[in-house]
Amino acid sequence: MRILIVEDEKSLSSEIKHFLEKEEYNCDLAYTGTEASELIAVNPYDFILLDIGLPDYNGLDLIKEAKEYNSEAYFIVITARGELEDKIKGFDLGADDYLPKPFSLLELLSRIQAITRRKFGHQSSIINFGDFALDTTKKHLQYSDKNIDLTKKEYKLLSYLVLNKNRVLDRLQLTEHIWGDFFEDDFDSNYIDVHIKNIRKKLSSFDDSNWIKTVRGIGYKFEI
Amino acid sequence: MILPKLKLKSQLAIFNAFSKALIITLLLLIIPWFVSKISIKETDEVLIQKLDQVIELVDSLGMESFIDMDAEFQAFGSYNILKEEYISIEQVNKDTTLNEIQFSQRIIEEELVDYRVLSYSIEENENNYVIEIGKSISTIYRFEQNLKRLAFIFLIIIISLTFIFDLSFIQYLLLPFEKIVKKLKSTNHPSSFNYEPVKTSTSDFAYLDDTIHSLMRKIETAFNDERDYISNVSHELLTPVSIIQSKLDNILHEGELPEKDMIKIFESKKTLRRLTNLVRTLLMMSRIENEEYILTEKVDINKTLKNVIEEIEDKMQAKELQSIIELSPLNFITDGNENLLFTLFYNFINNAIRYTEIGHIKIESYLENNSFTIKISDTGIGIQKEKIPDIFSRFKNSNETKDSYGLGLALSKKICDYHKINVQVISEPTKGSIFILRFP
Repeated sequence: MRILIVEDEKSLSSEIKHFLEKEEYNCDLAYTGTEASELIAVNPYDFILLDIGLPDYNGLDLIKEAKEYNSEAYFIVITARGELEDKIKGFDLGADDYLPKPFSLLELLSRIQAITRRKFGHQSSIINFGDFALDTTKKHLQYSDKNIDLTKKEYKLLSYLVLNKNRVLDRLQLTEHIWGDFFEDDFDSNYIDVHIKNIRKKLSSFDDSNWIKTVRGIGYKFEI
Repeated sequence: MILPKLKLKSQLAIFNAFSKALIITLLLLIIPWFVSKISIKETDEVLIQKLDQVIELVDSLGMESFIDMDAEFQAFGSYNILKEEYISIEQVNKDTTLNEIQFSQRIIEEELVDYRVLSYSIEENENNYVIEIGKSISTIYRFEQNLKRLAFIFLIIIISLTFIFDLSFIQYLLLPFEKIVKKLKSTNHPSSFNYEPVKTSTSDFAYLDDTIHSLMRKIETAFNDERDYISNVSHELLTPVSIIQSKLDNILHEGELPEKDMIKIFESKKTLRRLTNLVRTLLMMSRIENEEYILTEKVDINKTLKNVIEEIEDKMQAKELQSIIELSPLNFITDGNENLLFTLFYNFINNAIRYTEIGHIKIESYLENNSFTIKISDTGIGIQKEKIPDIFSRFKNSNETKDSYGLGLALSKKICDYHKINVQVISEPTKGSIFILRFP
């Protein structure tokens, strides 16, 4: 997978690159719209992360331009301006997702993965752990063909943990994924823990293994 | 004295009518006087003519043909049957000289008649005579009366006609003014202002329209500058936050640090998140103040409320609070901004949960006095009476123990004001609080 990161803040784009390269993505950097435009013209990218607040270019024009050369690329628009009209315009012009700054890198990754699954038609949408099977297209969990009743949020939480298996997810990342960038100011409340407790209870009625590990003071980790 | 406020066209019409009435009253007073002056003058001329004729007659025929010289009473009198005119000749003593015209009354056949009388003395046969020619003035009076009535009717017709003409003309003249007012009224944001000039032949209105246009352009520029400013501030503040967050994310993901340092990094992320929320809330408030959110979405309030409840239910469960939800069966759909209304309900319910440790949260919606009402009650710590007026102010927190930044309720109030929703707070410390939202 080849990704172009169009972001004028060098420090931010290098962090994104660093993170995504660890996830086996090839990343190119463009700091200006002109650079981006040149790179898009010659390289076939799978994804383009685009900060629409570029100094020399209207980021949205870049989408239009890119669509002419490279209709295969998927766009994730990043903005700190949060203009409401731009949000709508972005989608109209073919942006596939939208992330307001600041975002967590894990959330960015999960958006990329979601688009990949959606657009590329992932070979297998079923993830197995033990005798459990998590179907990410049908959005349900089964234990040896037996449906396990999960609430919407429980499913979202569990699938996020499973898709990012063997990685520590902190409470903020989980909150951001489930509740979005909604104005939430009490992170210390334990409602994430309550959901985890409920998921564990539902899993443990089928299987004794402790799939979801608590990482003290930070969050949770799904271990396979 | 305070005069009631009237429309310009009524004021102009009233003033016009008043000034015309004044002129007409003056005319009604002056014209009959003037006419009677003229008719008296004419009468006098006729009388003088007649006198000349009589004198001529006397000269040619001699006094004897009028007055019997032997009679004891030396006089001659003649009048027509209708007593409109009379002529009399009378001998008077030698010293009397008369040459005058005056009003006078005469008794003719036991009837008192008003005459205009010309008295003139002549000498004839060494005797002195007075010739009197009288003309009844009742005809003059009658003429005067008729004239007055006619003039009155004529003037009334004139005044009503001109009043109607004036009124319609003024109305026509003021049409552009009404258009200007309408244009202003239909503008709820400077960007939606219609800059097409109002058609008018009145330079004053064109000037007014022009002035309003240039004012509107200034306001629009100010609004746009403000929006750019908000957008830039947003970018300038959130980009550095984003950089720090990415760096912290990478540190956490590499997982090379000892546990206690990892926890510190996570704590920093939480602080960063707090800062982000603060900036976003402030920006949202500025955007509301700058009226950047459109209010024309059709929002189903019960549905939005249900979405909020679904979103927040787990928080109630986490605190083991009982939730009582009684929504109106009525589907109330109003113009508004769904995102803002969602935030509004979320904030109020979230607040109720935050300050309640035991008991229940009750969410109701119903129609009361024709206005759709949402009532959120809790059994929480409540608010002291003297602090209730402060709860919607920025950075004033009624409860010092919880670290909220006093912005949630300030934002909620802004959203309410933006949607013209009335908020009422009833609270008693230790018993709980009730927030009532009434839609317009």
